Amino acid sequence: MAGSETRDRLTADVYDIPRRRAFVELGDDDLARLAALRPLAEAHIDRLVDDFYELLLGQPDTRRFFPDAHVIERVKRSQRAYFLGLFDGKVDEAYVDDRLRVGAVHERIGLAPKWYLGAYRRQLRLLLDLLFSGVPDPVEARAAFASLQKLVFFDMTLAIDAYIVARDDALERHQTALRELSTPVIRVHHGVLLLPLVGTVDSLRAEQVMDTVLVRIVEEQARVLILDIAGVPVVDTRVAEHLLQTTQAVRLLGCEAILTGISAHVARTLVQLGVEIATMPTRARLAEGIELALAIVGKRIAPAGAGAGSAAEHAGPDGAGRA
Amino acid sequence: MSPIPILRIGTTLLCSVHVELDDALAERLQEDVLGTIERTGATGLVVDISGLETVDSYVARILADTGRMARLMGADTVLAGMRPEVAATLVRMGFPLEGVRAALDLDHGLALLAHGRSGATEGRRPGRTAP
Amino acid sequence: MRPVEVGHRGGERAPRSTRLLGRHELPIACEADIVLVRRKARSLAQAYGFDAFATAAITTAASELARNCWVHGGGGAAVVEELYDGTRHGLAMEFRDTGPGIGDVEWALAGGHSTTRSLGLGLSGSRRLVDEFALETARGEGTTVRIVKWKRF
Repeated sequence: MAGSETRDRLTADVYDIPRRRAFVELGDDDLARLAALRPLAEAHIDRLVDDFYELLLGQPDTRRFFPDAHVIERVKRSQRAYFLGLFDGKVDEAYVDDRLRVGAVHERIGLAPKWYLGAYRRQLRLLLDLLFSGVPDPVEARAAFASLQKLVFFDMTLAIDAYIVARDDALERHQTALRELSTPVIRVHHGVLLLPLVGTVDSLRAEQVMDTVLVRIVEEQARVLILDIAGVPVVDTRVAEHLLQTTQAVRLLGCEAILTGISAHVARTLVQLGVEIATMPTRARLAEGIELALAIVGKRIAPAGAGAGSAAEHAGPDGAGRA
Repeated sequence: MSPIPILRIGTTLLCSVHVELDDALAERLQEDVLGTIERTGATGLVVDISGLETVDSYVARILADTGRMARLMGADTVLAGMRPEVAATLVRMGFPLEGVRAALDLDHGLALLAHGRSGATEGRRPGRTAP
Repeated sequence: MRPVEVGHRGGERAPRSTRLLGRHELPIACEADIVLVRRKARSLAQAYGFDAFATAAITTAASELARNCWVHGGGGAAVVEELYDGTRHGLAMEFRDTGPGIGDVEWALAGGHSTTRSLGLGLSGSRRLVDEFALETARGEGTTVRIVKWKRF
């Protein structure tokens, strides 16, 4: 999911290549000038890559990302491809994709932008040396370097966006995990779900709780939902209103809602606030709520050894809530 | 011919909405259902709305009213299969359709009707009126 | 015109530099257009990955406001905008009519009376479904309602 969302969100902004190019003044003439220098780049690529990694491996902050010779060999190969890519003479979607992937990988392995951008400066210096030693005409060398600088900055803007998007996606995943943790819907029995609400219920959380519970009810074909609020520290008008809304929506799906875990304090608050929960079956304790829920689905808790024969007499699918 | 067919099984009417309801179609549905109850003397009605992706206040009101009207004509009505996002939206709008009986799906709806006819339930929430 | 309210829900900050990614104008000139407007809202919400609940919310709000535009405003237009604030996608919808305007806005926003096709039910209901809600109306000049729903993480 995260991948396609990343792509969606990037599509909106990042793939606006002309706009990005215009901002760093990267023209077709720049790309053509670099393409003409490709033979020079190819001739010196090995030394360029070696020099670059000498810097990265010489710094403790970056060395730790290259634990062994195998990794170094691999990153050198992709760095080589990257350097040569600067002299390809074209910037298309595939080029952008490649730069974005690099940024996302750096975010994943925890290479902070400060090191990444710092390394870019080193790259530029190496390329500057290359151009001024390899292009005899100083005016031409200066022009080539200006073009190269535009392209490298173009790449850097992409890399930073990729960082941000990767970070956003990580955040989104954490939020989802947190949401699931804060709405632990438990299947007590066939057709009976329990939602123990613990902690503060604000509007955002109340919405998420409702959405999650409704989806689970349909998935499980639940006939009864027990909403236990023993773990909710403060029940004020707003919280009561959220609880009422949740039970109303639950009922619209054809599922009964039972509210349990109502302390004396909460009962007093609800009545004093004039909250209409009289229509909802309520029980002081969860255990009693579970008994009631089982009765609604035609089951009951019996002492061990007692026959299960008369379970259904208690109530049918509908009426027991009033008992 | 109505775009939303109404099936009769014994004394129960089944109506499954699988097309998007605009205002005119919702009104037509109400008319057709009440007409069929009148003709057949049906005592139960299950409206399956699992195919409805959007139910706004107007359509919700027509569905709820239809249930009330059917009840006046002696037919218990169950709304079956409402989607989670539809239920959440109606409630958030302040439109909880109180007094409407709901079921998880068609089977559950038929079971509720059968149960109601045996006399166990009659007006589940007495004293409550819809907004 | 009298601006009545710009509401931000759920502690949302005012949007940062918001960019417009797309804009669609749909006429509301007959009853069938109500359905077309809500279909557009639904397809855009789904395209941007809004979950089923947010999609239902924006679609239903669109349906309510399009109906108000037609029934009470005598028709007009809906403008749907695709927004991006640098982090989130959003959908904005604006409903304009040149009808009689709303006399008692507070009353209408509180839900009005509960007659069928009541103006108030649609207004108060749709307002609770969206993140931002702004209403401008003037007697004899018409009504404009703008809503925004942001995609939530």
